[in-house]
Amino acid sequence: MTPARPHRWGRALLNIGAAACLLLGASLLPPDTSLNDRKASGVLKLCVPPSYPPLVTGKPDEPGYDIELARAIAGKLELRLLVNVLPSMGQDFNPRNWSLTRAQCDLVGGGVADTAQTRSFMQTLATGAETGWVIIGKSGAQLSKGDAVAVLPGTSGLDRIALSNWVRRAGLTARLAATPADLERLLTSSEVAAAITERYVAAQLSEGFSVGWLDPESFPVFPMAFGLWKGDQTLMRAVRQALHQLEREGMVSQLQDHYGVSRLGPG
Amino acid sequence: MNAQPDAAIVVSNVTVSYGAKRALDDVSLTVPAGASFALLGPNGAGKTTLISVLCTLRRPDRGSAAVAGADVVRMPTQARRSIGVVFQDSSLDDRLSAWENLEFHGLVYGMPKKRRRTMIEAALALVELEEWTHDIVRSFSGGMRRRLEIARALLHEPRILFLDEPTVGLDAQTRQRIWQYLETLRRERGLTVLTTTHYIEEVEDADSVCIIDQGRIIAQDTPAALKERFGQRWLTVLPQDQEAADAILASVPQVRRLGAQRLALPAEDEAATDAFLSTFRDRLSEVRFQPPTLESVFLSLTGRELRDRADGQRDAEKAAGRRGGQR
Amino acid sequence: MEMLALLRGLYAIWLRELTRATRDRAQLIGGVSRPLIWLLILGVGLNPYFRGEVYGEVRFVIPYTYLQFLFPAVIVLNIMYTSIQFAVSVIWDREFGFLREVLVSPMPRPLILLGKVLGGSTVAMIHGGLVLILARFADVTLSPLQIVQALGLMFVLAFGLTSFGVILAARVRSFEGFGVFSNTIILPLYFTSSSVFPLDPSLTRAQIVTAYPEWLVFMVQINPITYAVDALRGILITFNQFPSAMGSAVIFGMAVVFFVVALLDFRRA
Repeated sequence: MTPARPHRWGRALLNIGAAACLLLGASLLPPDTSLNDRKASGVLKLCVPPSYPPLVTGKPDEPGYDIELARAIAGKLELRLLVNVLPSMGQDFNPRNWSLTRAQCDLVGGGVADTAQTRSFMQTLATGAETGWVIIGKSGAQLSKGDAVAVLPGTSGLDRIALSNWVRRAGLTARLAATPADLERLLTSSEVAAAITERYVAAQLSEGFSVGWLDPESFPVFPMAFGLWKGDQTLMRAVRQALHQLEREGMVSQLQDHYGVSRLGPG
Repeated sequence: MNAQPDAAIVVSNVTVSYGAKRALDDVSLTVPAGASFALLGPNGAGKTTLISVLCTLRRPDRGSAAVAGADVVRMPTQARRSIGVVFQDSSLDDRLSAWENLEFHGLVYGMPKKRRRTMIEAALALVELEEWTHDIVRSFSGGMRRRLEIARALLHEPRILFLDEPTVGLDAQTRQRIWQYLETLRRERGLTVLTTTHYIEEVEDADSVCIIDQGRIIAQDTPAALKERFGQRWLTVLPQDQEAADAILASVPQVRRLGAQRLALPAEDEAATDAFLSTFRDRLSEVRFQPPTLESVFLSLTGRELRDRADGQRDAEKAAGRRGGQR
Repeated sequence: MEMLALLRGLYAIWLRELTRATRDRAQLIGGVSRPLIWLLILGVGLNPYFRGEVYGEVRFVIPYTYLQFLFPAVIVLNIMYTSIQFAVSVIWDREFGFLREVLVSPMPRPLILLGKVLGGSTVAMIHGGLVLILARFADVTLSPLQIVQALGLMFVLAFGLTSFGVILAARVRSFEGFGVFSNTIILPLYFTSSSVFPLDPSLTRAQIVTAYPEWLVFMVQINPITYAVDALRGILITFNQFPSAMGSAVIFGMAVVFFVVALLDFRRA
């Protein structure tokens, strides 16, 4: 009589299972205090530039897509949204000079593109809006060597170096525009054959211009995002979860329709 | 091949050196199939080296060896398939169960599942370990381990079984039981068994005994013939003090030193023995007559006792060290 | 010996390694505690220093959080420990005689070694895989394809490192001090593999040299573990410091070279 044979893997599986459970349990620990800090203060702070239509409009009754979305997210987290309008944002293309600090902002919105450059400083949560270089007036193929183009790089973190290389390769002369109004003036004055700028800058122009993505093969279209500080993992998770919930509830697409977030060209 | 068809093991002129030390010096021997063959010699005589050569772990520096007709250097795989080995030190995996150790062996020897199963059960039954089939080997006693190793060595039905000091560190009862298994196997399966040992009493029943010392074969025959040829009665005495020992050594030339203190002299001649005793009676603290045994054969051939006194102690230490070392 | 019989032998040796390792609680505890220490304690502890307080003013310029950056490196660390500690199992077999049981069997020597190394690599891969459970903690999202790719790469890496362990075992005569010895190999290799510190954030040689002394950069560059970590980062967080094919090439290269050396050692022994 041989005694019953224990299962060969019985003990091994038990040990591995115990190890896995331990790790699984540990993975549920919160890695930081960011969410708890916000809950304690009751406030979620959003930093935006004064104007970045349609994400930030500056109008009190229709404040913009990012602001309304952030407000809905704050609502889900049972926090009050505090909007910090920072004029420094968007005035300079070096984000260092925006002087955004952790103390001022929990979320950064109103023109943050989800690019590798942005991710070097913040972690991002896509909001459903998209940006990229657009060309106004003519399509890229219609331009010929020697044409002048007006360029307004904008502030959302798109790759300017790639753009200037592209302009040089195409044999175009770039005329820098300082503001959207400047860009529009150049366009209407016919000093330039076309204008290149970022998608949502184009949205601020008057009606009547034809707008198209610039050379989609060279320039990817980036999702727009909320920027969160690196390391604020618990807050990030909570915000992400709230956003997903809003998406399921249809709130996000409703806001997108209202602000024309997915419409290319002047809105 | 010069091997006779019925020879299980043929060793011709094998020499093995470890550095400057010669472990085997021009050794030749033949073991017929189905025989029980014992290699007898003190520790360090070269027995284990010879086993290593025969089971293809050590290439001979010179000479050749064949097991079951396969040369150990040229056809090692074929040679390995026909042998089973029980090493001097345990080579079981003590974190596995008895069954798992045997299963491992069966798989490594390429045995198919069904055959593995029946053979493992039979092997465990043979060594009476069925009750501990699924126990982890670490909890086994020395005797149980040894029995399991014998079961394992027999699992793939080898034609030749090598046992290197199979009974070291075991109690007398276990030793006897192990010899019983081996005897049964030899009779039932025609197995050739080659054993090394330094326990004299274990080779008395062997078909053939080969006495080996310092890497050389010094005698080989049946136990009876060896005793007849070389055996004589010996008188061993323990002198009271160093002075007495010196006096005996000076006056009786045939006396040999035995270990540190004891002395031995041939006791065939009664008159000489009586004379010796009457002369030194008062200066001896111990007197013993040794009948002709294989031990005395060894003494006659080498002038030394097979097993010096410290030997048993060393075995015990070794066994203890092994137990400690294996956690 | 026909094919099937050889495969049975290979399976037996592989299975034995796996059974022994998974029965050994101490080894599993090591496999669990390392990721906990490195990811939970070190990762969380250093997190505030890498997050930056002012936008644009972080020193740690990679498009990931510190935990995400560290995560693949901890997997490599766990594999390194398990693989190199595997040498203990090899020494064990040699010292306590089990090796002879296999050597007198009809199994060819290379197959014995292959079985052992495969077993050791599987165990190391399991230990690396355990770290993946912490992916959620580190905010690394994984698709099933990524998991399969990562496990595959981990296995090849473990194969190379396990072979390296066998090479070490052939040169180390006893267990005594092997723990210390293995630590003196593992930790320097780990620290100079761009694992904990992002040596070279902006990926050009000129900038590494300005940020770190040349000798350290040199050590990072000649360390094969650097490329293993990089390859795993490529799969898990799609971040590569070096050309993505390079990591895989180094990992496969290690596996082949170390196994061949181990084989030569094993033949001689």
